[in-house]
Amino acid sequence: MTTAHPPVPPAGGLPYDADFALDPPLALTQTRTRRLVLRWIWTSTAFLGIAGVLGLLLRLGQAEFISLDGNLWYAIMTAHGLGAFIAWAGFFLMGISWWVLFKCGFPIRSFILPELTYWTMVIGVLGIVVTTLLGGFGGSWVFLYPLAFNSSGQWSDLVTGVFSASVLLAGVSILAYCAGVLHTVISPALKAEKDTLGQRIGLAFGFGLLWPSRFKTKRGVEPYPVLPLAVNALDMFLATLPFALLLVFQIIQSADSGFSINTLLAGNLLWAFGHPVVYLLLFPAAATYYYLIPRYAGRPLVAGRAVAVSWLIALTFNLFVWAHHLYMNYPDGNDVQETLGTIMQPTTYALVLPSAMSLFSLAATIWRSDFQWNAASKFLIAGAISWLVAGLQGIINATSAFQDTLHNTLWVVGHFHNMAFLNMGLLIFGAMYAFLPELTGRPHFNERLGSWHLWGTVIGAYGWVVCQMWQGLDGAPRRWSRLPETYMDLTRLSLVFLAILVIAQIIFLVNLYTTLRRSPFDDPSVRQGPEVKQ
Amino acid sequence: MTSLGMGIGIGYMIFVVLGLIITAVVLYSTKRGRRDKGEGVDIGKAERAEPWWALFIVILLGVLLAFTIWRAPWFQDNGPGQRVQVTGIQFGWAVQPTSVKVNQPVQFNVTALDVNHAMGLFDPQGRLIMNVQAVPDYTTTRTHTFTEPGTYIIRCFEFCGYQHHKMIYPAFKVTA
Repeated sequence: MTTAHPPVPPAGGLPYDADFALDPPLALTQTRTRRLVLRWIWTSTAFLGIAGVLGLLLRLGQAEFISLDGNLWYAIMTAHGLGAFIAWAGFFLMGISWWVLFKCGFPIRSFILPELTYWTMVIGVLGIVVTTLLGGFGGSWVFLYPLAFNSSGQWSDLVTGVFSASVLLAGVSILAYCAGVLHTVISPALKAEKDTLGQRIGLAFGFGLLWPSRFKTKRGVEPYPVLPLAVNALDMFLATLPFALLLVFQIIQSADSGFSINTLLAGNLLWAFGHPVVYLLLFPAAATYYYLIPRYAGRPLVAGRAVAVSWLIALTFNLFVWAHHLYMNYPDGNDVQETLGTIMQPTTYALVLPSAMSLFSLAATIWRSDFQWNAASKFLIAGAISWLVAGLQGIINATSAFQDTLHNTLWVVGHFHNMAFLNMGLLIFGAMYAFLPELTGRPHFNERLGSWHLWGTVIGAYGWVVCQMWQGLDGAPRRWSRLPETYMDLTRLSLVFLAILVIAQIIFLVNLYTTLRRSPFDDPSVRQGPEVKQ
Repeated sequence: MTSLGMGIGIGYMIFVVLGLIITAVVLYSTKRGRRDKGEGVDIGKAERAEPWWALFIVILLGVLLAFTIWRAPWFQDNGPGQRVQVTGIQFGWAVQPTSVKVNQPVQFNVTALDVNHAMGLFDPQGRLIMNVQAVPDYTTTRTHTFTEPGTYIIRCFEFCGYQHHKMIYPAFKVTA
């Protein structure tokens, strides 16, 4: 998409955009950022297509409408999990972060890290696709150690090594992304009165909102969307390191079968990353909500110090919640896991605060506003409602006392599809409706098709997710290619909803295609949205 | 479905419905906002309410924590009883002995020989009543008192490989 079109003027009128002027060097950065983000969007959307088809095959297999015998179902499950969560949702939101930052007046300072992020993820995902679908690696996306080396003859240690290296590349991509975001947010863009590194760091993490007399900025108001992106970047950088270590161990073991590590240690290394990675999606999604909702509401984000405090809580506790994935690991004589489980229930609860405060802020921003309803804003609202619905499930999942009933059931699968597809996913679609016209220079999407896409997605996805959650509450185990017969009716019912979901995505693709086929618009103000009142 | 599962489902739905009602009120308010161009509301009020909302959430979570943390599996009385050794190995269960007495505590010692498994114990009505992780090189102990005689089923609840769904022990007996 290299269509020449006028540069997008500063998105009008929010306090933190006030001094964002497009001098010639910045316009050049804008063009490069636009091209980069577009490439990111198309690639991640292609990954969604692949992962979505794989997910559909999984449910068709469970319903026994198709036969996916032996290891194939589990290999597809592994590819689907990593493909949908990391390669689509995570990758898209990493990409759109650059545009949100740019729109808040934080242009990318160096394109080396974003390009490294992009290419390591793409190569890593291709490696995952090859090792799962061709190499037969079917250890699930968590490949709970030492399963990768006990394949019962379904894949070789070499495949495990290549798979681990591919996932490690995706990890390198996350590290590069985090470094790139930190490099960008700790920039002169915040215009600290005393331009020291300490001041810049403090401002990036919201201290300007908490302690304005100490952390002064010439910009007046600190942009709220920067906060979750900065927090996510620092946390994910730290959380990815233990996981990378586990992957290195696996690569070593694939070459030297005499090498091994402790299973509980491996579980902790995995989940030190495996839970925070949810926030690799959620926090950039929060930043996008913070950026877009005020524009449709026509007023700045209604937020005070409590929101900034909640992000500092997230910054701290995000790194200390992993053991809630190991609640059921309390072997005799191992007090460490019990202690970790006891501590990490309240720390996980603490992470409710950023979500609760964000939803409060978004609701207050919308309250009695002259809200502009269109495909983009409807998707955003639907996504925010799912944030609430799935967030409540998260509190249940974080409660150790409920694990006899919920652990490793389809309830958990329903929960993360509710959160990843119906919160982050709807936000992603909303961001595409909102940003693609200005990124491509093409006129707006067809609103009616956009509405059909929304309702089809919401009805289809909720119908399917509710079926899974009900089965889970009834004891249906997750990661079973063939569920016990008692769960078959709901499995087959969920396919009706999945069909609706698929049709909705076809409508979206038609809408996208016709949008991209149109001529570039002449008037860039078409996508500037409503005037924002001060 | 167990009573705990039913309770979780009902409690969850109550909060979802409350949340959706509040959401509907917020979205409906934009009708009024359209009439007065979004200028008929005191934003400062919402900002002042923010800390109170945070406090409300903290209290709510604190209450939930206080009621549940003591019911964590590791805080349960996993004392002595009729001992049953349960060992998971791809793709089956070794259970010894294979029957126990009703209304007497049963201490399960659960382990694995190769990869992680988990013992999902289903009662004769098909309800999941207990979930114990089977970790290689470790033993996890859980004590349970069966109140109903019959045939119980063990299903593997931790993904363990391509025959995971076939890892079922079909006949653990609880006798009168």
